[in-house]
Amino acid sequence: MLFVCLLAPELALSQHTALDLDGKPANPFDAATGKIVVLVFLRRDCPVSSRYAPVIQQISAQHERDASFWLVFPDKAETPQTIRQYLRDYAYHLPALRDPEHALVKLAQVQITPEVAVFSRNHQLLYDGRIDNWYFDLGRSRPAPTTHELADAIRAALADETPAANQVRGVGCYISDLQ
Amino acid sequence: MNSWPRTLTCSLVLIAATGAMGKLFAGQAAHSTSNAPASPVTFNRDIAPIIFHSCSTCHHPGEAGPFPLLTYSDVKKHARQIADVTQARTMPPWLPQPQELKFADELRLTDKQLDLIQRWVAQGALEGDATDLPPQPKFTQGWRLGRPDLILTAQKPLILPPEGTDTYWNFVFPLSIGQTRWMKAIEIHPGDKRYVHHANILVDRSGSSRQREIQPGAGFAGMEIRIESQVFDPDSHLLFWKPGTVPYLEPDGMALRLDKGTDLILNTHMQPSGKPEVIQPSIGLYFTPQPATKFPMLLQLENDVKLDIPPGQRDFLVTDQFTLPIDVDLLAIYPHAHYLGKDIQASATLPDGTRKTLIHIPLWNLNWQAVYRYADPVFLPKGTTVALRYVYDNSADNPLNPNNPPVRVKSGNRSSDEMCHLWLQVLPVNFNPAQGDPRMILQEALARHNIEKDPADFEAHYNLAAVLQAANKLDDAMREYEAALRIRPNDAAANNAMGAALLASGQPSKAVAYLSQAAKTRPDYFDAVYNLGNALAAQDDFAGAAEQFRLALQLQPDDADAEANLGSALAEMGRYSEAKTHFEHALQLNPNNSLAKENLQELQRATNK
Repeated sequence: MLFVCLLAPELALSQHTALDLDGKPANPFDAATGKIVVLVFLRRDCPVSSRYAPVIQQISAQHERDASFWLVFPDKAETPQTIRQYLRDYAYHLPALRDPEHALVKLAQVQITPEVAVFSRNHQLLYDGRIDNWYFDLGRSRPAPTTHELADAIRAALADETPAANQVRGVGCYISDLQ
Repeated sequence: MNSWPRTLTCSLVLIAATGAMGKLFAGQAAHSTSNAPASPVTFNRDIAPIIFHSCSTCHHPGEAGPFPLLTYSDVKKHARQIADVTQARTMPPWLPQPQELKFADELRLTDKQLDLIQRWVAQGALEGDATDLPPQPKFTQGWRLGRPDLILTAQKPLILPPEGTDTYWNFVFPLSIGQTRWMKAIEIHPGDKRYVHHANILVDRSGSSRQREIQPGAGFAGMEIRIESQVFDPDSHLLFWKPGTVPYLEPDGMALRLDKGTDLILNTHMQPSGKPEVIQPSIGLYFTPQPATKFPMLLQLENDVKLDIPPGQRDFLVTDQFTLPIDVDLLAIYPHAHYLGKDIQASATLPDGTRKTLIHIPLWNLNWQAVYRYADPVFLPKGTTVALRYVYDNSADNPLNPNNPPVRVKSGNRSSDEMCHLWLQVLPVNFNPAQGDPRMILQEALARHNIEKDPADFEAHYNLAAVLQAANKLDDAMREYEAALRIRPNDAAANNAMGAALLASGQPSKAVAYLSQAAKTRPDYFDAVYNLGNALAAQDDFAGAAEQFRLALQLQPDDADAEANLGSALAEMGRYSEAKTHFEHALQLNPNNSLAKENLQELQRATNK
């Protein structure tokens, strides 16, 4: 079987590590044995990221038992305080990580905020890219999305199947601008 | 006793509709410039001047931009994004194509500027030499034009929900002025600028919008609103805010009249942010002691009746054209369509055959709709034909299509309906004041044009009637009111106006039927109740008249005319003591009320005999 992601998570994280909001190294896969893992990449200064907050909350709430959701902030200028405030403002009930060295960004192969990465129960990358097609260009959104890539990928991952799409780029803010 | 007073409130109602909303932008290739500097492009030398001039105005704290663009670090954090959105001409938001007639405050980057940004990012977004950095722009906090003469804040904020479709909300601002004032500028603070896409101010001289509030001060929902106005008093100013709008002073002589009792309605379009937002707009008004000497008018081209767009149709064309009956200066233009609008054009063909593009937006975007003011007034002589040409896309390939799958779409006020509107702010020029108000000539021609397009256009018949009535052509006016009432038999304003016209032409018994209908439809309609009192009095039904004047005074307790007329009705019934009280009260309200003054003197003479 061909792995979509060639890097094993443990290997990547051994070099650069994401941090929890207490500043400690954190691996989102550690406590997710047997669960699928969904990483959601956000920038506080990206309005498209922020507009997705209710959608991300709804999808994560639907899969509370069988998926481990993490919000990941790749901007190294973010502090635990600014992230905590953001989580309060947008009524998030999800754990958050800082990813100043872009360890998780590389692992997840994401390029834009907001983008997501869905990992199988074996923690293999199954899908990375947009949540849905709500936005079709910067500043231009449909009245409602007509495709739902994140939900589809989660459904496939839970059924131990390969999602129909494994990568669809999102619309939003470039993570590479943060380097 | 004096003969019965003939004080009438003649209510002519003009109806204006306005709207709010939009879509976005097409990509356009930049051309490399031959004189490009050979050294690497740097932020400090090459990019900062572009950003400071064209981006920072909105991208600084407190403004609409979602992140600041004031420093190298700010811009670097969005460098690739900036390269993309400028190349696509999504940012800075400026929808019109370049054209011969220039707009004020054009926000379009040159091809050379686009090329510099592309190369800067491709070369690694270098900062450059600190000595090259121009000074950061300074922005005035708070009111840009200084402290306003009058600041009004929405009584109740709107809580914008975190998700869902766009919100259209109207805030009502009652004007706390005791007398007529002349407004030379307005500054709109629409609440949180990051979430309000645009806002329009409408002048409501009739109090009709207030009645739509569930609670006073709470505002009301609605994308498009209609304002009724009393007497011939056409809308004249486009009071508009969008991100980046800089308040400006009206040209000399063009101040806007605001009367006691007038409301300003702020029609806003907001987009959810992902969290609840508190939106509480305020507006600042700047007055001048100089009354207006120039009277512009908003000329509306439209063809909503032709909006009947089959599902799947991607190039549905709607046109309208109107030939100017007088010379005008065109000052500003405001195109408006909803989510299916695609290609928006307006042109003027002069009597000599010269054709000028007034505006061309090849990829309409409701979110970035705007009023565009011309850098210089555009002279359009009598006989010029102004035309609109709008193309709509109702296919599934239009991602903004509010219906999935597409359905047949007609005109309407909801965002899922469509509109085909174009407002032109024109100033009549080269006219002879002795021949009357040139705006009435324009309004009459426009109303006749609209009736020709759509004989079932209530507003066109109504507006034509109002102009004819103002010109004292009562028979013609009544014919048009009747035509309007055949379309909307119970319309309060039309029934009132018809009743007032009948009364003015000496037909009180016929007037009573119309005025009663108006008062029945809208029991809180002061003019209808007051006019009904007059009509009953004209038929010597003084008891009935007194009852109506009492009702009118419940609606407007400080109306001196209603007090004087109540006094007169009571006097006619021989109730002199009560009559005297009301005459005296009328004179307290308005010491110059001649009816009360004369009748009180007459009463005193009669009782002294």
